[in-house]
Amino acid sequence: MSRLRGRTARPTSPLAGEVARRAGPGVPTKSRWRGADFVGWGGGWAIGAAALGSLLLPVALDDFQLTIYVFIGLAAIVVAGLSLLMGFAGQVSLGQGAFYAIGAYAAALLAKLLSVPPLLALAAAPAAAAAVAVVVGLPLLRLRGHYLAFATLAFQLIVLSVIGEARGLTGGDTGLTGVPTLSAGPISLEGQYRAFVFAYITWLLLAAVLLLTRNLVRSRPGRALRALATSEPAALAAGVPVGRVKLQVFALSAAYAGLAGAVYAFFVSYIAPGSFPVLLSIEFLIMATVGGLGSISGSVVGAALVYLLVQLLTAVGTLPGLPLHAPAIFSYAVYGLVLVLILLLLPQGVVPAIQARLGTSRSVSAVEASA
Amino acid sequence: MSLFLQYASSGVATGCTFALVATGFVAIYRVTRVVNFAQGVFAVTGGMAAFALLGHGVPHVLAEAAAVVVAAVAGLGVGLMAIGRRGTPPLASLIITLGIGIGSYALLILGFGDQPVSFDGLRGSAAIDGVSMPLQFALVVVVTAVTFAALTLFFNGTYLGRALTACSSNPHAARLVGIDIRRMGLVSFALGGALGGLAGVLLTPLQPVSFDSDVGIAINGFAAAVFGGILRPVTALAGALILGVAEALVAGYWRASFQSGVALVIMLGLMVWQATRRAGVEESPA
Repeated sequence: MSRLRGRTARPTSPLAGEVARRAGPGVPTKSRWRGADFVGWGGGWAIGAAALGSLLLPVALDDFQLTIYVFIGLAAIVVAGLSLLMGFAGQVSLGQGAFYAIGAYAAALLAKLLSVPPLLALAAAPAAAAAVAVVVGLPLLRLRGHYLAFATLAFQLIVLSVIGEARGLTGGDTGLTGVPTLSAGPISLEGQYRAFVFAYITWLLLAAVLLLTRNLVRSRPGRALRALATSEPAALAAGVPVGRVKLQVFALSAAYAGLAGAVYAFFVSYIAPGSFPVLLSIEFLIMATVGGLGSISGSVVGAALVYLLVQLLTAVGTLPGLPLHAPAIFSYAVYGLVLVLILLLLPQGVVPAIQARLGTSRSVSAVEASA
Repeated sequence: MSLFLQYASSGVATGCTFALVATGFVAIYRVTRVVNFAQGVFAVTGGMAAFALLGHGVPHVLAEAAAVVVAAVAGLGVGLMAIGRRGTPPLASLIITLGIGIGSYALLILGFGDQPVSFDGLRGSAAIDGVSMPLQFALVVVVTAVTFAALTLFFNGTYLGRALTACSSNPHAARLVGIDIRRMGLVSFALGGALGGLAGVLLTPLQPVSFDSDVGIAINGFAAAVFGGILRPVTALAGALILGVAEALVAGYWRASFQSGVALVIMLGLMVWQATRRAGVEESPA
């Protein structure tokens, strides 16, 4: 709620405005690695260390931990798209889980029923999700704010019920079993090192997604996005095709979710509508908010923090002597508390807050003072 | 024909509960411009609290009334978190209420367990024209009608009601004449909580409610509220009745699993239609 009414260019969404203020006008001019979008401290060193760490980590993990590692990577891929959508286009989506499901089912059905080579199916899944996003987004993106939030939530419920009804194709609510595993020609992902290889595949895809997002944000479309985040009317006046840009970001975020969903389907080899509840979409939203909307490294940090916290509490909840539904109680409480506390105390998210504290983010205070 | 009447009457009854949820959305949105995602939670809280109180031997009416009060207190609590901190933007408040909705699952499971609950409302049924109708349907309709009448009197006839309306039509002018907008926001949250709780108390005898029923209830209530642009309670009532009857007919004549889909598609179509009619740039929240 702005106290002054006469401000000329109000941010279209308060959350988006936050990002725009932080990102500031113009493009990063200093070093290539020193933007507001990547963890700033030590510049490239941090990125290098993080990359090296995530490459070495799977060697030290057992199968159970590798599974968690894969799931965090998949969540981060989805969150990168959602963070872009919410942070820059100012659109809240509560339906990312639907695109995750669409990607998973597209890949699984292609590979299982049509015997399409799994790698091809993996590539087709994000395209399918993006195509659905374009069709759905054309009408839905006319909506804003809470209308869009409810509309995307409704979209996910519709997708889930369609999947549940199309029993002949999808197996209905009982799900789709025996999804073939990933394979390339004669090499098939089976046996002892399955989780290990999946960990590398996931994190390579994540790296590609992050790189793509980073380059996108810094390119000409990225500047259009930032303009959009500051003020939709102003962006429109400056010649940004607002509707088209929003639709493109929506489709891109759906493609990310579809990609992650496809890997998920190949990894767990069993999918059902129950694998993609509304709570999943909310989980992605929480991760994006925790990491910091519009922050690229934040999507990884947010996904990892939230996922690990819930895993930790689930482990605590299943200790002997605790009631049967303790894990559920813990995870719901954590989701709720984390989301509320972050929004009240650290609305810009964890990573941007750290960057601001360390002073490596570009002159936050100066930009804020001038705003 | 009798089959049709049966479906339609059950649709009117559930539609009335949607209307109460929708009015809760409207009451809160009008004053605070926050769409409260936790609105369904109030209904679940009301229903489950009534169930628990009845289980402890509290007589009917008293148990239901106490459950509505519990829901109103829950509404006040949500309001404190969502708008208690000055300068929280409405979209952030929206996500806060979403977080509260998820977090409240923990409290609901802790307090009432994770199984669906239901209790007997008004027992017996009346035969009208050979069609047997449960008396609970009539009770729901009567209570909803009385509530809407009371709300109309409240908003038009009392100082508090007028202050709330003033906040919704022009918050700046309302502040100038000495109305505490934040307090009015909290009052509206408590009112929204009570209305949600009432809906839950009436709904639980019709269909079992579990801790995560809130999404379905909230979606239906929001869909009804959308009919009136989340601002007009009476249009929301009309919307709720249309939704309720449409869902009951779809479930009766076609397939039960399609009923929520119909509501969702109606809601989406209506929202998009409204959005295309609103010309140009939408006002940003003041």
